[in-house]
Amino acid sequence: MNRLRTNIIGLAFGTMFGGVLAAGSLHEYDTIHNMLKLKEFYVFGFMGSAVIIATLGLGTLESRDTKTSFGGTIALQRSDIKANHLKGGAIFGSGWAIAGTCPAPVLVMLTSGVFLSLIVVAGIFIGLSLANKQAEGFGDGEHRLTDQAGQRA
Amino acid sequence: MPDKILFGAILPQQVDWYILGPILGAITVLFFLTMNQPLGASGAYIHTMNYVRRSGDSVAWRVWYFVGIAFGGFVVTQFLQDAKGLRIGFDSFRNAAPLWIMVPALFVGGILIGYGAKLGGGCTSGHGICGTAQRSKSSIAATITFMSSAIITTGLIRLISGGKL
Repeated sequence: MNRLRTNIIGLAFGTMFGGVLAAGSLHEYDTIHNMLKLKEFYVFGFMGSAVIIATLGLGTLESRDTKTSFGGTIALQRSDIKANHLKGGAIFGSGWAIAGTCPAPVLVMLTSGVFLSLIVVAGIFIGLSLANKQAEGFGDGEHRLTDQAGQRA
Repeated sequence: MPDKILFGAILPQQVDWYILGPILGAITVLFFLTMNQPLGASGAYIHTMNYVRRSGDSVAWRVWYFVGIAFGGFVVTQFLQDAKGLRIGFDSFRNAAPLWIMVPALFVGGILIGYGAKLGGGCTSGHGICGTAQRSKSSIAATITFMSSAIITTGLIRLISGGKL
């Protein structure tokens, strides 16, 4: 039963995330491009306020050793800086600027009716598999290879 | 196509950031409270890819998360906003460059996004929001790096395009 529940949770959170991105027009090339041209504050405000709220919330959960529904006691993951974080970040940033979108917003772009976004999605999958041999980890920000809470698909 | 008269523009084209940003922050916290996991989009791509290929590690809910992002975007753009229908998109890019430049550029951009996200261990959501909010040094460094790299690349694109982009 846990599997069904975690799948529904995954779908629900994906839907919320995609919905929020869409509501902010973060799937539009121009929104990202205007931020990177330093012409509009919108995305900085969006990301900045999300990070502030999440930092405060996660800090509170951590300080109280909160028990999570499916993953045991809250465990934030922190890791030290490695060369790959900087190399990968520099490469990712250049792609972000060229395509004017990134992995989550491009899916919203697709369902908003922009069929050319499929080219970017295809590129992302190819890029991920090309780098697969060079890098460990799952691209979740932190490196959670195994997932106690989830079940294998 | 959805009926614009029935569903048009319940939401404006862009809801203010000071409403959406905190909501996204709350979603991140709520997800940790449920699954004790970060919500990274590039991670969801990898799990989805492994699932389709039937090789490597793949966690079912991350595949559903991938589907959910697209689904949530569909609901909001087609039913709550003024739906724009099928279009080429990438508006200012499209105005500044012909398709024969745009299509390969988007493809290369996508490859760089995927390669960089995998090598760096995360993207805008995984490092930029979830990792930074966990106060992880690696995520803060990656976020500063990709922000700087993107701003510099945008400046270069502006130079190359003669100020058109």
